[in-house]
Amino acid sequence: MENTDKSLIDAHCQGDPAAFSELVRRYGDSILGYLMRMSGNHHQAEDLFQETFKRVHEKAHTFRGGQFKSWLFTIATHVAIDGMRRRRRMRVVSLNQKLDCTDQDSEELSAVALADDSCEPSQEAAKAEQAEQVRDAIESLPARQRATLVLAYYQQLSYPKVAEVLGCSLGTVKTQMYRALRTLAQKLPDV
Amino acid sequence: MKNHLTEQELIEYQFKLASDIRMKETAEHLQGCGQCRGHLEKLQRKFAALDLLREGAKVSEDLISRVIEQAQGSISDSILKKRFFAALRMTKWAAAAVLLVGLLLLAAQLGKDGTKKREVAKEPMPAVEKMVRASKPEITSAEGLDEDMVEKRTLAMAPMEKRVDRYAAFDETAETAIPEEPPFAPASAIELVVLPRRDKVQLTIYNSADLTLVRERRNLTLKKGWNWLQFMWANTLIDPTSLSLEPLAQADKIDIQQLVFPARLRELGRWLIRSEVSGQVPFEITYFTSGLSWRAFYMGTLSQDEKTMQLQGYVRVGNNSGEDYEKAQIRLIVGKVHILDQIAELAKRQYPYNRPIGRIGGRGGEYGFGIQHGRELDRPEYVDEYFYDRSSSSRLGELRRKEIRKEGLSEYFLYTIEGTETIPDKWGKRLLSLDVEDIEIESLYKYDEQRWGEQTIRFVKFANDDDHNLGETPIPNGTVKIYGQADEQGYLSYVGGTNIKYIPVDEEVELNLGPARLVNVEPKLMDFKTENYRFDRRGNVAGWDEIRTWKIEITNTRELPIEIEITRGFDTAYWTIQTDAAYEKHDATRVRFKVNLEPRKKQAFEYTVTTYHGVREETLAEKN
Repeated sequence: MENTDKSLIDAHCQGDPAAFSELVRRYGDSILGYLMRMSGNHHQAEDLFQETFKRVHEKAHTFRGGQFKSWLFTIATHVAIDGMRRRRRMRVVSLNQKLDCTDQDSEELSAVALADDSCEPSQEAAKAEQAEQVRDAIESLPARQRATLVLAYYQQLSYPKVAEVLGCSLGTVKTQMYRALRTLAQKLPDV
Repeated sequence: MKNHLTEQELIEYQFKLASDIRMKETAEHLQGCGQCRGHLEKLQRKFAALDLLREGAKVSEDLISRVIEQAQGSISDSILKKRFFAALRMTKWAAAAVLLVGLLLLAAQLGKDGTKKREVAKEPMPAVEKMVRASKPEITSAEGLDEDMVEKRTLAMAPMEKRVDRYAAFDETAETAIPEEPPFAPASAIELVVLPRRDKVQLTIYNSADLTLVRERRNLTLKKGWNWLQFMWANTLIDPTSLSLEPLAQADKIDIQQLVFPARLRELGRWLIRSEVSGQVPFEITYFTSGLSWRAFYMGTLSQDEKTMQLQGYVRVGNNSGEDYEKAQIRLIVGKVHILDQIAELAKRQYPYNRPIGRIGGRGGEYGFGIQHGRELDRPEYVDEYFYDRSSSSRLGELRRKEIRKEGLSEYFLYTIEGTETIPDKWGKRLLSLDVEDIEIESLYKYDEQRWGEQTIRFVKFANDDDHNLGETPIPNGTVKIYGQADEQGYLSYVGGTNIKYIPVDEEVELNLGPARLVNVEPKLMDFKTENYRFDRRGNVAGWDEIRTWKIEITNTRELPIEIEITRGFDTAYWTIQTDAAYEKHDATRVRFKVNLEPRKKQAFEYTVTTYHGVREETLAEKN
């Protein structure tokens, strides 16, 4: 029988290294995807990923039950928002995964966008360009709106769950989501 | 039908942001309104672009490992905390008691930590030691805690300490069978063999390349079977490809199988060692590093009559390797080595020195700082006392110079500094390598317009041989500064400086001290004419002679007699000269005059040089 999140976190608190490993594997893809969309940069997402699980490890004893996934996404959101603020302060130029960029991260993300190998090269290029525009549009959103959108749309969390993760009311989540979508409606490309 | 739906209503409907009632109303409206349906479809197409980024991310094994490893570093701390808090959840009174004891322990531990920190601050910790300590959690006093808890904690936190105790002596009788297959990798950092402090370290520094050979001796505690030994060189300039490990005892029972550089973990290597014995074994670890350097510099003090000189040589050892070397035996190599790659670029830095040290006693004898002819000079700040052995019992408080032993080593020369030295990272030390008095020198002035223009250059000449109280070893290249006695009280004045190249034994050396202001040479062209023109069949000039008469005036405004060498060039190999002055042909186009001049005197001589041009060159050739 599969261990529950709670049993794993308890085992981790008792010093079982395998439990932590299991938690990382269980939620790794989901958290990395979330952080990639939040940061728009694979390399930075990996750093945030490490920071997220570092905090999980450090704060594990404060977890008082409930939905581990929500708790984990709350931490990831805080880490991502902190990271974005830091990045703004440090004036780090976003790698942004431009197609003409030779950065490895960019190649990796472009590979994601181009994963559909049934397309013609010209279509693939157009699709990659559109994906780029979508990424830019999402990146232009304020942190809270971006977190709301990514959690609700890409991570497919219900709005009450998003509210739990972000620590705000359901109404606030809906307002943030609407504002994000209104902005995106102006910026998203036609596909 | 009332008003059409707004974009907000459509978005809220599409993304289920509206209330149930509102959702129902919008759905009903859409059923009956094609225009709004069209708008909605348009919005849906727009938002479909979001799906371009719907591809999920796949977290790599590498990233997972990094995260787990990162957590492992502090996992023991959290266990400790958890258990501590569990202990506190005992009965009210017991918990209160434990809390009280815990607070007392904490206070004691804080005091202990403070002492430790101070010790660490005093004593530099090598990079390798840093690694060892990082992987070895602190064990605090267990007094007052539940015994079972203490035992569990000890096991969890310090398996290495336990193992070290268990294998304190060789234990070959343990009949544990060693698995044939080596383990793929240590399961965790705590399974690595603990590296103790260095017992001995020897640095051989090559000054011709940014290269130092480090040989460390450490006593490692091995268990019977497979052992992993981790070596970290973060923030140092160690060349990992040069790492080598050799047992100095039990070599037939210990096999160094491989050195692996684990993925993801930077700047560390792990040796896999198969040992048939348990206990402490001395090992030697050798590697090359960059960042350590040495260079020589010299100070010469001329006697008042400038016929002899005291020469003091120093070596300065600098450490920018990122690693602290404690009590290291230091050997310096003179001579060039051939290396394939520069391990790292040296950040060479010039350090202030150039202040001569006063002398006491005779050649190669005793030394003192800051005392010259009974006067006290400013003590140079850069003089490092580390190189002066205070332990000498010859006289209380007397500083004894450490000896630098020199010996030939193939085509190189090896200088070994007596005893050991501690050179922390970013530190430099200098030591006296040679102090020789009464070196007979020749002070010589030279004038050569082609080389130095219209200025007289001063030289000091001596040889690295027995006649000059030198000649024991080659003299490494370095900077030389020469000082002169400014007056009878012994005040010094700077005369000049230069760089010298490596001087082999029995070779002469001339130190160029730069322009001499007090000795002046002034050549004057007194007469010029041409003659003996030759013409070809067309009547063009085919050859001629040029005749120049030069007067050379030399002025010596010094208080000492001088010898000066004046070189004159003619720009052609076809010339003849007439003069009463002594000269020698220096080469095909130049002659040299040597003149000795008394203090505060002027002297002049003349010469007439005829140079032959064109077909007249053949005439000269026929004459000769």
